[in-house]
Amino acid sequence: MNGLRLSSFGLRGFVGESLTPEIVIDFATAFGTFADGGRVLVGRDTRLSSPMIQASVTAGFQAAGCEVLDLGVCPTPILQFTVPQRRAAGAIVVTAGHMRAGANALMLISANGGFVDPVSGEAVLDIYHSRDFRRADWQHLGAVTELTDFAEPYFSALEAHLDVAAIRRANLTVAIDVANGAGCRFLEPFAQRLGFRLVAVNAEESGYMARDPEPRPRNARQVASIMPLVNAQAGFVASSDLGRVSLVAEDGETASEEYTFPLVADHVLARTPGTVVSNCCTTRIVDDVARAHGCRIVKAAVGQAYVMAALTDEQGAIGGEGNGSVAVPRFSRAFDGLLTIGLVLEDLAQRGGTLSGRLRELPRYHIAKRQVYGDPRDCYRALESLERDTDWAAEATLDHTDGLRADWEDGWVHVRASRTEPMLRIISESRLRPQAEARAADLARRLEREL
Amino acid sequence: MKEFLKVGISGVRGVVGETFTPQLAASFARAFGVFVGRGSVVVGRDTRPSGDMIERAVTAGLQSVGCQPLLAGVVPTPTVGILVRDLAARGGIAITASHNPAPWNALKFMGRDGLFLDRTRAEELFDIYHQGRYDLVPEEGLPLVETIPDPTAAHFRRVNDYVDAAAIRQRGFRVAVDACNGVGAVHTRRFLEALGCTVTLCHDAPTGIFEREAEPLPEHLGALAALVTAHGCDVGFAQDPDGDRLAVIDELGRPIGEDLTVALAVQDVLDRHARGPVAIHLSTSRAVQDVAERRGATVTRTRIGEINVVQAMLALGAPVGGEGNGGVIVPAVHPGRDSYIAMALVLELLAKEGKTVSQMRDTIPSYALLKEKIRARPEQIPEALRLLRRRYEKGKINLLDGVFVEFADAWVHARPSNTEPVIRVSAEAPTREAAAHLLQETRAVIAPALGFKPA
Repeated sequence: MNGLRLSSFGLRGFVGESLTPEIVIDFATAFGTFADGGRVLVGRDTRLSSPMIQASVTAGFQAAGCEVLDLGVCPTPILQFTVPQRRAAGAIVVTAGHMRAGANALMLISANGGFVDPVSGEAVLDIYHSRDFRRADWQHLGAVTELTDFAEPYFSALEAHLDVAAIRRANLTVAIDVANGAGCRFLEPFAQRLGFRLVAVNAEESGYMARDPEPRPRNARQVASIMPLVNAQAGFVASSDLGRVSLVAEDGETASEEYTFPLVADHVLARTPGTVVSNCCTTRIVDDVARAHGCRIVKAAVGQAYVMAALTDEQGAIGGEGNGSVAVPRFSRAFDGLLTIGLVLEDLAQRGGTLSGRLRELPRYHIAKRQVYGDPRDCYRALESLERDTDWAAEATLDHTDGLRADWEDGWVHVRASRTEPMLRIISESRLRPQAEARAADLARRLEREL
Repeated sequence: MKEFLKVGISGVRGVVGETFTPQLAASFARAFGVFVGRGSVVVGRDTRPSGDMIERAVTAGLQSVGCQPLLAGVVPTPTVGILVRDLAARGGIAITASHNPAPWNALKFMGRDGLFLDRTRAEELFDIYHQGRYDLVPEEGLPLVETIPDPTAAHFRRVNDYVDAAAIRQRGFRVAVDACNGVGAVHTRRFLEALGCTVTLCHDAPTGIFEREAEPLPEHLGALAALVTAHGCDVGFAQDPDGDRLAVIDELGRPIGEDLTVALAVQDVLDRHARGPVAIHLSTSRAVQDVAERRGATVTRTRIGEINVVQAMLALGAPVGGEGNGGVIVPAVHPGRDSYIAMALVLELLAKEGKTVSQMRDTIPSYALLKEKIRARPEQIPEALRLLRRRYEKGKINLLDGVFVEFADAWVHARPSNTEPVIRVSAEAPTREAAAHLLQETRAVIAPALGFKPA
C-alpha cells in the first residue's frame, strides 16, 4: 500500500503516487494557519525528493503569511533544538526517517521543539480537511530567510551538556554511519567539538540510500567491519534523520538497537535520577535499569510523540524506545542521535573499560520480532478476536495501552497494528531465546489464521 | 468583491491570497509539464512579492511530472522565451501579471518555440489541467532543479548584435529610465551602460511594490519626466513591470505616446535592417501604419492579443511589428514584445538620424486616439456589433475582432472586452474633435441594442 497517511503527527506518502506538491502545500498551509501566520522553521533530509517537498512546504507557509527560516539539509533533532532558540511557532521537517526510498513525510514540530501534541495535530487536520486556510494578501506573504549558522548554538549547548574534557582525554576513535542522511555535514563539527577521532561511514549526501536506514544489527555490517581496521572503541549506526542510533562494540559485536536506551538511561540516571518513560513494547532491561536506580518507569503508547508527551506530563529525566531513540528533556524535546552518541562516549570515557564490557553489564533478554501482513481493517479485526479469546495468555497480565501486551514472570509479548505499514508487529521478550521465539511464533500463527 | 480567476489565452491569473494560490500554480505547472512532455522548462518571474512563492510551487509541480526546472530568476518576460530556444527547453513559464496591479500574479506559458501558446494549444493545456490525470514520477526519476547563470546575457547580446551598438555607444546618450519597480530595476542599467549610455533611474527598487501605475501610459510618467528634465537627458524610457512594453519621453520631458514607440521602431527597422510587411493589432495607431506605408511596406492588422500579432508576423515574414501599447516585436531577436529591443532601436534611430526625440516625433503624422468603455450585458453585445456592422457595411470593414471600420485618415474599433462586461471602443482621427465625433457616432449606432435611446 503506497497510500497517503495523514495523522496528527504529520503526513507521509510515496513520491510519484500519493505525495504530490499540492497536498504538501495544503498541509503546510494548514499548519501555517494553525500557527496563525507566525514564524516557522523548515528543514529536510537528503532524500532526492526532499527539495521538491520542501519547496512546496515553504510555498504553503508563505501563503499562510508565515515567516520562514529555511535550514536546508538538517537532522531532525538539530532542527527541533533550534525551534525554541529562534522563538518560532513551529516547524515542519521533511524526512521519511527510517522509511524506504521513495517515501517521504512531513513531521510537525511545536513551538517547544517537541512533536505537536495530538490535540493540536487534530486541529491541523481539521483545517487541512476544511481548507479553511489563512491566506495572506500579496503584501503579507511570508518572507523566506536561509539560515546557515544554526548548528553553532546546538553544538555549544551539546558541549555544555556533556563532560567534553573526559571524552577528549579518553582519546577515542569512533565510527559513525549516518546512512548518507541529514547527518553527513554535521559529523565533522560534532567530532571536533567533542574531541574524538571520527571514522565516517555512508556520510555522503548523495540522496541515495546506501543501506536500509533503520539502525539495527543487520545494517551495522559496514561499521562493524571497519572498526578493527581503525581500532575504534565505539561504533554507531544512525537513522538517516539522526533520530535513532544502534551500537557496535569495539570487538565488532553489533548490539541490538534495544540496548541503546537502557545503556544511556543507566548512565544518565546515575547522575540525574528521575522518572523514565518508555513504551509498552520496549525491552525489560529498561525496567531493570530504572529499578536499579530506584526510579519510576512509565509506559506510553508506541510512537515517539506519545513517549514525548508522557515525558512532558511526568517531567521525566529520560525517555526512549526500543528502536534506538533516546530523549533527555533537560537538553531538548527531540529524540537525538548526536546527544545519544555523546552520552555513550561520556559513559565510556568516565568509566573506562570497553563498550562490549559495558553492554555485558546490562541484564540479558532475548527478543524475537515477527510481522504478519494484512489489510489494515483485517489487522484490527484479528487483533480484536485475539483480545476476546485469551486462553493463549492464561497466566499472563494483559495490558491494552496500545495494542495488546501480555506479561509473564519471565517475559512478555506485545502485538499491535503498525501505523505506517499494513501489518501487525509482534515483539516477544524472554530470558531464554527459545521461549521468546516460541511465544512470537505462536502469536503469529494465531493471527495468520485469523487473517 | 472577490476577484475571479482568469484562465485564458494570456495564461492563468488571479489575485494572490484569494484565487491565485501556490496550490493552483503547482497544479497548472504540473499540467504544463504533462503538456510539453518530460524535459526541461525555463521558469522566470518578475519582481512581485509573491514571485518566489509561486516559483517554488511551479518548480515542485514541474518536478513531480519529470520536468527539470531551469530557474532564470527575476528576468524580463521576453528573456524567458529566448532562453527556451537557446537552451532547447520543452517550454517556459513566466510568472508575471505584466501590467496588472501588484496584488495580481499570473502564469504565462510558452512552447518550445519560445512563443506564448496560441488559443488551440492553450485549450489543450487547460484540458489536461481539468482532466487531472498525470503520470507522476517516482523519487528516483525526479529531475534536479538548475539555476541559469547570467540569464539575460544571451538576450542582451542578441539585441546588441541586431543594432549598430558602436554607433549608439559613440553618441554617449544620457538616458532616464522608469523601471516601475520591476525587472528593469535589476537589468536595465547594465543593458544601457553596455550601449555607452549614462543612466539615471527612478522606481528602481526591485520590490514589486509599484510606485507608479504599472501601465506606461502618459499620465503615469510624471516622475520620469522630472528625471529627464532634471538631468538633461536625451530620452526617457518607461518600462512595465515585466519589461515587455516601453513608452518613450522626449528630451523636454513630454511623453510621445506609447503607440509611437512602435512607430519609431518600425521606421528604424525598415530603414536600416530589413524590408518587408508590418503587422500590428487592430487598435494600434494609424501613425504606425503611415510610417510603414511611406516606406512601401504593406500593413496587416490582427486580432488583439500578442500571440495573434506574432503569428501573423511569422506567417508574413514581417521584420517588425507590434502592439500600440508600446509592445515592439522584432522576430529576428525574439518573436514577442520586448522593451529592450525597443530601447535599442530608438537609440539607434537617434544616433543615426542625429535628431532629438521631439524632432523624430514631429516627422510622424499626428493623430488623436480616444478610448472608452460602454457598459453592456454579454447578451447585448452581439446585437450592438451587428448594428455597427450594418451602419458601415459599404465602408472598409474588418471583422477579425469585433468591428473595425477604416476611413481615409481615421478608424473606429469596437470589441467585447475579455475581462469586463463592457464594449471597448477606440477611435483615431487627425484631430481630437474628429475622433470624439467618431466615438459619439458609434455610441449612437449601438444604443438601441443596449436598451437606451440615442443621445
